[in-house]
Amino acid sequence: MAGPAHQGGYDVVVLGGGVNGAGVARDCAMRGLSVLLLEKRDLACGASGASSGMIHGGIRYMTSDRNVTALASRDAGYIRHIAPHLTFRIPFLLPFASQAEGSRLLDRVTWYATEVYVGTYDLFQPLKGGKPSVRLSADELYRVEPGLRPGLHGAVTLDEWGIDGQRLCLLNALSAADHGADVRTWTEATSLVREQGRVVAVRFRDAVTGEHGEARAGVVVNATGGWSPQFGRSNGFQVPMRPGKGVHLSLDRRHGNYGIICTAVDGRQMFLMPHEMESIIGTTDDDFFGDPDDLDATADEVAYLVDGAASLVPSVREARITRAWWGVRTTLFEYGVEEDDLSRDHRIYDHAGEGSAGLLSFVGGKLASYRAQSEELTDRVAAMLGKATLPCRTHEVPLPGGDEVPSPRELAARHGIAEPVAARIVFRHGSLAREVLRLVDEDPRLKLVLCRDEGILAAEVAWIARHERVRRLQDLRRRCRLALGGCGGLDCARPAAQIVARELDWDADRLRAELSDLLEAGWRERRAVLDGWQLAEEELLRAVHRGLGGL
Amino acid sequence: MSKVRSYAWLAWRAVVPHPLRALRRRGTGEERFLAAYATEGLAPTGLEARADADASSACISCGLCESACSLRAAIPAIRSLGLHAAFRLCGKSDEMLAHASAELSACAACTGCEPLCPTGVPITRLVRALAARAAVLDAARRELPPRER
Amino acid sequence: MAPAPRIECDVLVVGGGMAGATAALAAREAGARVVMARKSPGSTGLSGGAVSVAQDPACMPDAPFAARSGVVESARRIAATRPGHPYGLLRDRLDRLWNAVEFATGQLSSVLAPPTGRNRWLLTPFGHAHPAAACQRTMAAGDLAEVRGTLVVCGFEGHLGWDPGLVASGAVRVEPLGGPRPRAVLLDLFRWEEGAVGTPFDLARLLEAPGAAEEAGKILKRILARGDAAAVLPPVLGIDPAARVPERMSAEAGIPVAEFLSDLPSVPGLRMHRAIEARLAAAGVEVLGGEVRSGAGPDLPAAVGGREVVARSWVLASGRFVGGGIERRGELRESVLGLPVQASEGPFADPSIRFAARAAATLTQADSRAPQALLAAGLRVDGELHPLDAEGRVVHPRVFAAGAVVGGHDPASDGTGMGVAIFTGWLAGRAAAGRGA
Repeated sequence: MAGPAHQGGYDVVVLGGGVNGAGVARDCAMRGLSVLLLEKRDLACGASGASSGMIHGGIRYMTSDRNVTALASRDAGYIRHIAPHLTFRIPFLLPFASQAEGSRLLDRVTWYATEVYVGTYDLFQPLKGGKPSVRLSADELYRVEPGLRPGLHGAVTLDEWGIDGQRLCLLNALSAADHGADVRTWTEATSLVREQGRVVAVRFRDAVTGEHGEARAGVVVNATGGWSPQFGRSNGFQVPMRPGKGVHLSLDRRHGNYGIICTAVDGRQMFLMPHEMESIIGTTDDDFFGDPDDLDATADEVAYLVDGAASLVPSVREARITRAWWGVRTTLFEYGVEEDDLSRDHRIYDHAGEGSAGLLSFVGGKLASYRAQSEELTDRVAAMLGKATLPCRTHEVPLPGGDEVPSPRELAARHGIAEPVAARIVFRHGSLAREVLRLVDEDPRLKLVLCRDEGILAAEVAWIARHERVRRLQDLRRRCRLALGGCGGLDCARPAAQIVARELDWDADRLRAELSDLLEAGWRERRAVLDGWQLAEEELLRAVHRGLGGL
Repeated sequence: MSKVRSYAWLAWRAVVPHPLRALRRRGTGEERFLAAYATEGLAPTGLEARADADASSACISCGLCESACSLRAAIPAIRSLGLHAAFRLCGKSDEMLAHASAELSACAACTGCEPLCPTGVPITRLVRALAARAAVLDAARRELPPRER
Repeated sequence: MAPAPRIECDVLVVGGGMAGATAALAAREAGARVVMARKSPGSTGLSGGAVSVAQDPACMPDAPFAARSGVVESARRIAATRPGHPYGLLRDRLDRLWNAVEFATGQLSSVLAPPTGRNRWLLTPFGHAHPAAACQRTMAAGDLAEVRGTLVVCGFEGHLGWDPGLVASGAVRVEPLGGPRPRAVLLDLFRWEEGAVGTPFDLARLLEAPGAAEEAGKILKRILARGDAAAVLPPVLGIDPAARVPERMSAEAGIPVAEFLSDLPSVPGLRMHRAIEARLAAAGVEVLGGEVRSGAGPDLPAAVGGREVVARSWVLASGRFVGGGIERRGELRESVLGLPVQASEGPFADPSIRFAARAAATLTQADSRAPQALLAAGLRVDGELHPLDAEGRVVHPRVFAAGAVVGGHDPASDGTGMGVAIFTGWLAGRAAAGRGA
């Protein structure tokens, strides 16, 4: 059962711990509704965790409705406000390339149009703390980014925000829990219970303990993203969507501080952009009809992305690719349309007509708009419940740790740790970094830096295990990038597992099983990109974890 | 309908406000770009820095270099983070580098670590190059108001 | 300044890991003048202290004592089941495997304990019992097949690096098969900041200090109970064998004291690297630091670290990916002579399949436990250890390959890496020196 506090059931049961599920759970909980969030794996395991990690201002909507752009930009500003520590600025370059020798009139018109378009977007930039665009001449462009291929004619720049999408998801769920929601990860909704054409309860199964349970619900929100069609089919309702597989590649470090918009071999736009401490190349977009639980990056997807990025930045071929990762995005259903032309809009489906009153499905949308989408969804939920609720405050109440960004230098000095390590902790935890580092005063052993590749401190692992709803070791991939860097967990996987095991009271067999699971996930993401030094690293990893560890 | 209005609006922007705005602007595009970003630590990456980055990427984090680093015994900051972090972690992004100038500038360039590196990373040269860049970034950062650091 | 004179020698060994060292020392013993070109420590310098030669493939992973067969016998079984494995290629000469192991361990006896002919079973930090035909002297007393009574598995109170409960779980699993009963304890050591954040090298140096090992021995003695037969500790018992840390601890504690195996960073790896350097110097092998790039082969001058070397025979012992003997930049290639990479295992074991240019995704399988062709890729050699070209012909009658540069096995994880290095190194070194096996 889901807890004694809610024997009478919940106002809302949210299915899916992606950014929409976590966002709507937070909003509902903050408005005073009782909420249960069920996620079959971990938070941000699907498309939210595999997104490009951008909070953009909706530049592409200026051609259809500038009010949408204004709303999107304002919302980006809100996210900056509630989670300032998780965001970072990404200046983009949109280089001007010509198909012909020299520059033709048509090219020049196109470039001017681009400049005007991005320049018009500048009107919205103040809403999100963005900077105005700039047009660079060819010479200027090569001074700003000397790694670009020759023959370009200049560029315009565009200012956007990057974010740690996985922690954004987590913080929404933690905030929901702080406001009274029950958040259950690794708990799968197995079926819906109906009475007289109404969905009245959700049955679920805890994948870690094997326990079954049932929770009564006033409204059920299906936010299972790419899993929706499957879940709908097995539960007697239909969720129309066009799922699309998107693959990204990570480089082991920032290739530069500026994102670069490139054109892929098939003419699609793609990018190479700095993201946290990496650069990422993205993204593919292909219709996906398979099982979202069984994905891999294929050889052609890897080649497509590398070739596309190298067409403008040849030096990426020398860079070390550490992993390929993927997700299934949910786009609205349309027939006879190219993947790229599908709307990135969202829709809420009410399944009352299918004998499932009280069930809403959320489809589509973007990470950047999650807050506004959640607000809209919560409004619908509240209306269906017919309950008077508090007003929405998700745009003004900071997420956990988002109230202040402490100075890494100060924290490093106070607690006697290295400043880069403190900086990483501040990035991930915001003002809660103070609490994280307080642990090293109590136990100086926690000053041990476990991962010299990602700057993961033992204290951070202990903190996360205690306070961030860790149920499996692999949850730390999304909480603090454990074993996600180029080293794949060579230094840190075992000691981090030991600390988590101590905190969560796992025995040695459980610890080994969790370690195996963590390493297997890393292997799946690396195997398609093993080349150069990453392949040498893999040899070491294999020697340690399989050869020595018997894992 | 709204599409038509949007395009009309953009066309008007192209003909009137955009050229007017261009007249009001001061400085070259590059100057305005660098003023906006380099001050926030988002500086251009030169070819040399990129070559150094590629050389650093050869690190396979075996940790052998640390056995020969005499600074580890002497300097607390180095002790807790370690030498190979200097070019793996700190060299990953300028943001990280800006926080690492103390660690990096502590290297006395004894080169004791280099013969131990299985992949031949030119550790001393890279640490020195990173330290130089870190000092520049660090100085730029100190000039920013606290909220923006 | 006049350029340094050209070096003429009988054998040029490329690579200074276990394969290269064994080859150089074997050729030296056969009376050849030997030059070694090596750039840095390879994977041998990163090894954990075990010399793994062969684990009986018939033996279930968690049932080591069920198969007490000898190491050579186990190698024969591997040869029979995996024809593309170097043991398979050399199956007619496996009767000399043990000579090679005894030779190599004898040469490196400053760090390696004498082998017994069967595998020792040693604990790892991951809670696994690992078979090793030989191991470092500091580790021999931790052999699970020999300890009678309780094995005290120690961690350090002040350092989070090792969890004695996890380490001991490796012994718990084999206890019903005749292993000792493990007891996990924390020793009250390193409880100050310097210890808490130390790397294994730091801790090893701290224990080498005068009186430190004795103090540690006393702390160990305090927690000993009746029936405790031996103690294993994290692999930080001194870097220099001459510091005799385990012996000093043992003298105070009154029971044998050993290290368990190491992951990275590895103190035993550094110890091994230093022992190899010292032995090569003592045996009169001339070691040149630097890479051999685009060297032309026997009788032709090769540039190594600013010197020019002409050798009658070459032994390529340049390692796999960590060593740099095989590299992949979009395509697999051998880095010294540019030879084709065409031996592997799993779906690409068939030598007629060209796989060097295939995408990484097609050379690997989603299940990491399955054979991974990419990780097993290397040179194809004949039964004399001559590398073969793309047409299957011997590249040169006086070029030999040894160790991980030879394909068809996964030295990182299949438990035969050191054995292949020693056996092929020994055979190649002798052959290059003009002495058959």
